[in-house]
Amino acid sequence: MYLHSRVSAIILILPLVLVLASLTIYPFLNMVYMSFHNYDLAKGGDPKFIGLGNYLAIFKDRLAISSVEFTAILVVIALPLEMLFGMGIAWLFRNLIVGERFMRSLVLLPMMVPAVVAGIAWKMLFNYNFGPLNYFLSLFGISNISWLGDPNFARLGIIIVDLWQWTPFVFLVLYSGLQSMPAELVEAARVDGASSWAVIRYVELPILAPLIGTVLIIRLIDLLKLFDIIYMITWGGPGSATHSFSYYIYKVGLSYGWDVGYASALSIVLLIVVVFLVNLLMRVLRLRALLEL
Amino acid sequence: MTQFLKYLLASLILFFFLFPIYWLLITAFKPSEEWFNWPPILIPTTLTWNNFLGLEGGFYGGMASVVNITPYLRNSVVVATVTAFASTIIGAAAAYAISRFKVGGIHFANWIISIRMLPPVASALPLYLIFSQLRLLNTQFVLILAHLVFTAPLSTWILITFFNDIPKELDEAALVDGASPLNAFFHIILPLSAPGLAAVATLAFIQSWGEFLLALVLTSNADAQTLPIYLGRYITGFRIAWGPLAAAGLINMVPVILFSLLMQRYLIRGLTFGAVKG
Repeated sequence: MYLHSRVSAIILILPLVLVLASLTIYPFLNMVYMSFHNYDLAKGGDPKFIGLGNYLAIFKDRLAISSVEFTAILVVIALPLEMLFGMGIAWLFRNLIVGERFMRSLVLLPMMVPAVVAGIAWKMLFNYNFGPLNYFLSLFGISNISWLGDPNFARLGIIIVDLWQWTPFVFLVLYSGLQSMPAELVEAARVDGASSWAVIRYVELPILAPLIGTVLIIRLIDLLKLFDIIYMITWGGPGSATHSFSYYIYKVGLSYGWDVGYASALSIVLLIVVVFLVNLLMRVLRLRALLEL
Repeated sequence: MTQFLKYLLASLILFFFLFPIYWLLITAFKPSEEWFNWPPILIPTTLTWNNFLGLEGGFYGGMASVVNITPYLRNSVVVATVTAFASTIIGAAAAYAISRFKVGGIHFANWIISIRMLPPVASALPLYLIFSQLRLLNTQFVLILAHLVFTAPLSTWILITFFNDIPKELDEAALVDGASPLNAFFHIILPLSAPGLAAVATLAFIQSWGEFLLALVLTSNADAQTLPIYLGRYITGFRIAWGPLAAAGLINMVPVILFSLLMQRYLIRGLTFGAVKG
């Protein structure tokens, strides 16, 4: 009976293992191999072993460094703002008397929009001559801004779009957390004379802490992967102002250049960072308990 | 804060989140004379279906004619549907093995979730190399496989949390009565977790339907390219045909929005890896 179950279980899990192993393990090993070689599809020839050459080249590559910078800017600016706005909106909506369910559904819409479509919508909004954004600003006496032509505004633009699309996610998670919080806790604190700020600070925030951690890490990883919106709205430009690290890998390895070796090295660096963050996420999620393993 | 101020603030927030979607929606129905106006036409008076029919805006962006959307739509439907079914079946089978028999334990679960979080750009390059060696590039099949890499782990993951919610006594009783684990899986677990299966299939569909980077890298023409790539192609010209572009964007967006609203409860479970049950 036990053996029988074991065999069945392995049969059931086999398709998943086959798909994932064939599509991740071999490609990954291949990528590690390539990262130690000089191999450029555009130039042809066979891979030539150069040791850590590709990795060392990253430090001398001005574009790679500036793409790390922009990715860091994204993380440092967009992430805290998304968390703050998401929390703020969650608390605001919880205190509304009517229409809260309806309004919640509406706020969630941006994160359901495919990134490519979001890119189109915002590209229209950012348009220099005819865009509604410049129109709204002109009502306040602000002259037309070249959203996609000026490096700083292009960077700001990408941040705004990310805020627009993913603040709802932060909101949704924290709002669900607030909703499922035992009402007695808050009641008890109120009865004891706690101010509403004290309730948030000493009752709600500590209970929400694991959820906040979860969202924070998921968003952080997503920001490191940011690609679609940049491709659609700025093409990484003007110049290289909005090259995120992911976009730069794409550019080096898969579009303007076909430098497989160098792009592999860049990808491995990104992977190491992401794997580290994923492990952090596991801790926060309390994986073992979550999956009852 | 008074209720009035709260509602005022809430309205401003809603305006920010909804305006871009509203703008896409109205642009899709605007005739070509109204695409480029100052001040922009915020509330259109003339509406037309022409943007959807490819009858409007042939003179903009140097396009002789608007590229036909049908093959891209077909590819998207095929790829997303097959991905959704395959990832649900594979995920359900694996999730049952993990939930009831603890196959692979914590490390296997760890591996699955790591794959889900991988940056697509890091898998795009090696997948491109493999599939070009196998001469499989630019096929729907390859895109389905590539999409399964990130949908199947998530499906498995979410279904583990669903299966764990089903009392173990139910299938254990069947096992004691002499049913095989496979029988218990098909006749007890699957019927009981229908909402979970639907949720997981929908999530996989949504992800595949909107996926951009892998489709961009692994496909090269209308034989296999999906709607997001079709949209990406439009954006290149100097003067872009906003109307048809917005119309195509709307076609890409509407199924996803409908599905997500239906599955709102489960969406959050999927997005937080089960940390929030929703």
